[in-house]
Amino acid sequence: MSVVDDMAFWIFALTAIVSGWRVFCTDSMVRASFLLLASFIAVGLIMLLLGAPYLGIATIFMMGVEMMVMALFMVMYMMNPAGLNPMVMVHQHRFSIGAGIAAFVGLAAVMLVTDFADNPVASDARVVTDLGKELLGDSMLIFETAGVTLLATMVASVILSSRSGRFGPADEGSVPPPLEPGGQPAGRLPEEGGGHGHHHH
Amino acid sequence: MTPIVLTVAWVAFLLGMAWYVAVLDGLWAAAREGRSLRTPLANPLYRCATMLRQQSNLTEAPDLLNWRLAPALYAGLAGTGVALVPFSGASVLADLEVGIVWWGAVEALTVVVVFLHGWSANSQLGLIGAYRYVAIGLPVMLISMFVLIAAALPAESLAVPKIIESQRELWNVIRQPLGLPLFLLIGLSLSFRGPFNYADSADLADGTASEISGAARLVWEFARLAMLVATAAMAATVFLGGYLGPVLPGPLWLLLKTAAVLVLLVALSHLFARISPSRMLTLIWIVLMPLAFIDLVWAGLVAL
Amino acid sequence: MTLTAILLVAAALIGIGLYGTLSQQSFVMLMMGLELMLNGVLLAAVGFWSLAAGGVPTGQLLAIVTMAVMAVEMSVGFALITAVYRNRQADMTESLGTMKH
Repeated sequence: MSVVDDMAFWIFALTAIVSGWRVFCTDSMVRASFLLLASFIAVGLIMLLLGAPYLGIATIFMMGVEMMVMALFMVMYMMNPAGLNPMVMVHQHRFSIGAGIAAFVGLAAVMLVTDFADNPVASDARVVTDLGKELLGDSMLIFETAGVTLLATMVASVILSSRSGRFGPADEGSVPPPLEPGGQPAGRLPEEGGGHGHHHH
Repeated sequence: MTPIVLTVAWVAFLLGMAWYVAVLDGLWAAAREGRSLRTPLANPLYRCATMLRQQSNLTEAPDLLNWRLAPALYAGLAGTGVALVPFSGASVLADLEVGIVWWGAVEALTVVVVFLHGWSANSQLGLIGAYRYVAIGLPVMLISMFVLIAAALPAESLAVPKIIESQRELWNVIRQPLGLPLFLLIGLSLSFRGPFNYADSADLADGTASEISGAARLVWEFARLAMLVATAAMAATVFLGGYLGPVLPGPLWLLLKTAAVLVLLVALSHLFARISPSRMLTLIWIVLMPLAFIDLVWAGLVAL
Repeated sequence: MTLTAILLVAAALIGIGLYGTLSQQSFVMLMMGLELMLNGVLLAAVGFWSLAAGGVPTGQLLAIVTMAVMAVEMSVGFALITAVYRNRQADMTESLGTMKH
C-alpha cells in the first residue's frame, strides 16, 4: 500500500464519518440527505482503493439516486422541510448516544482483540469477471432470489402507498399535522370541501 | 500517447467541441429567425467575455457552498465522461474496468448536481426547475441503464475499449437499432436541451440558472455544452464504433463521428417542442421504457 | 490502510447510524440512520473481502446482497411512510401508538 493510498484512505474515512455524523445535526432535510450521500461516496471511493471497482462505483451510482429520492421524500413529509427554524426532533437522546457509543466500542474491541487472517486480494485478480461468473454461476439462486425480492418489494410498495389503498381513498380529508400534540393543524385551515372539487364564492 | 499528451487532447476536445456546439446553436437560431450572423465563429467567445465581465449575483440567504460548487461539479462530471472515451486503441485517459458503470454514476450525480444548483439559490423559479428536472431525470436514467447494458452485452465487458473492439465487424447502431435514438434522448436530458429542458427553460426565466451571472454562469453554460459533448462522444464510441474506421487515423474518426452526432443532437433540440412534465413522464414510462427493454432483450437474443 | 483501520471506520459508521435510528423522531431521518448502519456493513464486508478473504467472489456477492437490502429497506420504508402520512398526516414515530395497550 503506497503512502498516497493511505492518505486518500484517511481522507475518505474522515469524510465518511464526519458527514455521517453531520446528517443528524443539520436542520435542513435536503442537506441531511446529501450529507449522507457524501458519506456513501466516500465509502465507495474507499472500495475503489480496496480493489473493488464494480462495487465502489455501483455504490456511488445507487446512492446518488437513492439520496435524491430521499431528499424529495424529506421535503414532502417533514413539517419543517427548509430548516428555516432550528429544531430538535429527537427522543430518548441520552440512551441513543449511549447505544451508539456502546456499539462502536463493542465492535472496535472485538476487532482489536481478534486476529484476522492476512490474505489480501491478488493484484492481478480479475475481480469484476469473478463477480459476474459468481452471480450467474454458483450463486445464481441467491442472485435471483434478490431479484425476486426486489420485484416483491415493488409490488408491496405500490400496494402500501397507492391512493386507493385498503383504507379507502387515502388523501380524503387530509390536514397538516399540529405543531404541538393534540393542537390545531398547522398552516392555513382548508376551505370547505378541503380544496377539492368546487370552490364557492 | 503519453499521459500529458492525452490530458492536453482531453482538454482540447472538451473546449473545442463545446465551442463547436455553441456555434451550431447560434447558426441554427439565426437561420430560424432569418437573420445572418456577422461573426458566427467568434460569437461564443464574445459571450464568454461578456459573462466574465458581468457582476456576479447574490440572492438572499443562498446555500453558498452548494451554489458555487454545483456548476464546477457539473463540468467535472462531463469531464470524467469524456475521459472514458478512447481516442485510439491504446490512448484512453481513464481506462476503467467498469467504465460503463461510471457513466451511469455520472448520469445519477448529474441529477443530484442540477437539483442542488436549483435548490441552493433559494429562489422559487430555480426550485421549480430543480424539482421538474428530478422528476424527468430519474426515469430517463433507467432507460439509459437498459440501453448501455445492451451495448455492453456483445462485448462481454463493462470496459469502454472492449465495447469498441466488439464493434469491429458490425457497429452497435445496426446490431441494436433502438439503442442510439434512445441514448440521444438521454443526452438531451443530461444537458437539459430542447424537448427535455425542464431545468433551465424559458418559461421559468432560466430555471435553476435564473439567479446566476458572471463567472458562475459561464461555468454552468460551459458545463451544459460539455455534458452534451460527453454524451455525443459516448454515443459515437458505444454505438458508432468510436475510433474504428478505414484510411483516416483513429482520433480523427472519433472527432468526425462525435461532430456528426452533435449536429443531430442540436437539430433535435431545436426541432422538437417541450411537452408538459406530466405528459413527458407518461411518455417515458409508457413508451420509452418498454422500448429500452425491447432493446435489451433484442441485444440478448442477438448475442445468443 | 489495514483491515483494523477499515473495520474501525465501519464500526464508527454503525455506531452513528444506531444513534440516529434510536434518537430520530421523523421516519425519514430514522431511515437515514438505518442506511448509515448498512453503509458500515458494506464497508466492513468489502474490507474483509479485500484484505482477509483473498478476494473470494462470494465476498463481493455479500456486498451486492447488502445493496439489495438497502433498496428494499428504502422502498418499503417510503411506502409505509406514505401510508402513515395519508392516514394520520404525520411522519413522527410517536404518532403510531395503536399497537400499545
